[in-house]
Amino acid sequence: MDWWISLDGLLIHLYRLTGLPVPDYFIGTFLLALITAIIGDFTTSLVYRANRGYYRKLNSRLGHLHEMSMVALHLKEKTSYKAVNREANDTFGLLFFSMFGMSAAYLWPAFFALAWMQTRFGEVRFPLLVGDWTVGFFFTFLVSYLLARVVFAQTKPYLPYFKHVVDDLNREDHHKIALEERTS
Amino acid sequence: MFTKKKLMFKVSLFILVFLLAGLVIGSLASAAPVGNSLGLTGKLGAAIAKAPVGTGTGQIDLNAAKGFLGIPGAPQINPVLAFLWAIWVGWIFTTVGAFGGIMAGVGHMTVFGLGDYTKAFKQTAPELNKVMTDTIRMSNQWLVGLSSAIGSLNYLRAKRLAWPLGLALGAGSLFGAVVIPIVTGGKISFSAYQGWFGVAVFVVGGFLLYETTPKGQAGKKAAKAASQAFEKSVKEKGDANDQGIKVTKWGVGRIEFSFFGVEFGFNPIIAFIGGVIIAAISSFLGVGGGFLYVPYLTSLVGLPMFVVAGTSALAVFSSMVMSIVSYLNFTGAAVDWALIGTELVGVFIGSMLGPRTQKYIPDIWLKRIFVVLALYVGLGYFSKGFFGTAWVPM
Repeated sequence: MDWWISLDGLLIHLYRLTGLPVPDYFIGTFLLALITAIIGDFTTSLVYRANRGYYRKLNSRLGHLHEMSMVALHLKEKTSYKAVNREANDTFGLLFFSMFGMSAAYLWPAFFALAWMQTRFGEVRFPLLVGDWTVGFFFTFLVSYLLARVVFAQTKPYLPYFKHVVDDLNREDHHKIALEERTS
Repeated sequence: MFTKKKLMFKVSLFILVFLLAGLVIGSLASAAPVGNSLGLTGKLGAAIAKAPVGTGTGQIDLNAAKGFLGIPGAPQINPVLAFLWAIWVGWIFTTVGAFGGIMAGVGHMTVFGLGDYTKAFKQTAPELNKVMTDTIRMSNQWLVGLSSAIGSLNYLRAKRLAWPLGLALGAGSLFGAVVIPIVTGGKISFSAYQGWFGVAVFVVGGFLLYETTPKGQAGKKAAKAASQAFEKSVKEKGDANDQGIKVTKWGVGRIEFSFFGVEFGFNPIIAFIGGVIIAAISSFLGVGGGFLYVPYLTSLVGLPMFVVAGTSALAVFSSMVMSIVSYLNFTGAAVDWALIGTELVGVFIGSMLGPRTQKYIPDIWLKRIFVVLALYVGLGYFSKGFFGTAWVPM
């Protein structure tokens, strides 16, 4: 369970850029977080592409059932509305749980980064500005990860491969898909 | 003939046996504690320091190799086993859905051996027993809660959120997700947790079983038939553009809003209480939020699915995140980051297999297999947790 420890010699170089311990820690953590964000997005794209047809089928069905339920509401047909809504809820359940794979693909590198950070920086604590509280490697990585996600999201549309992933994922809006299928 | 000598001999023998027994029992009961945290931080380290040293069950063998969480002698979870079990969990998420969370819990408790190891400290080191139980509870939540991230954020981005209902439900779910770790953290023995987990698995198994019965199947078929009949009979196509949610009445006992020109209403107190209960269950067990919110919202308000989707997604994700943060801050539960990472890899691979195998296994047979599993696991955990021995082999 410790293959990431073999990357120690490589990863620690991220923390030796300026020679100043505290800035190096934060810069290194941000870079590590950025690497995990990039790898996570890449593996998410693999899951999405593998299951794209399945997601589209469910999204399309959801969109269609939603429109039917709205029509039933509009026509005040309560029985039909409940029946269609029940179908829609069942389909939503399938889609919601099937997307768990994408989340897992999105986040797994961050956990190995945290496992490595624990071996290197497990004892490091930073005082907060307020009170006597301190924060450790988990908090600093979490903040860096959120920042890295924001930075990567802004640059992703301009990067090769990820540009196409962004386009593909945008089309996953189930409302648009339902409309496309209705009008095609 | 009874002599004084024989009596003295018997009395001496009795006293010697009694003293020896006392020495043995005394040495077991008062095994020297570890005395230091072994480099482990927080409540785990403090609990380890108080655990007895030794090579027996419920003792810390200082010379043993480090296992789970860096504890000497703890199970060394085989990464290949963790990875393969997580593939199974990911496959279940995309075929049956909610039952994946239960299987994740089974993995942590039984397959990886953490349950039996934790249980061994019930008498010898109760504090360690409870810290390890909190760690197992939280491990389930990391896996299941984070796995809901993308689905939840997608529905939030689509802005299909009945925000008055979302506020009431969300407030309740956050409350439940914070209170349970605070109230139960460090207080629940592994046996109690296992027993209640078994009860929850029984309930899920019961729902699945109902769906496989003729009555359950008939209800579903009738709904599907009505839905299809309506689709065919629709003469006018409604405007597919959402008209959004407009609140028309605010009140402590009732909030009303319109959606697509239709009026909906709900009691915010009932929504809050529902959020508390569902989040408390999922926070206590580490599983269960995802499949409880949707039927609750559907029965409470009867909202269209698209609105329920966003609202329940908000409650699921926010309560899981809050629960994890509460466990970390208030209970001192530890995290095996690499184990969670390995499991997440398995889940995403399993989720790619699920859609490909679905066409080969009819839904009804999948449900029947999981009904059997649920009843088996539920019975085993219920009996092992509350009665000390499993009524089925496990």
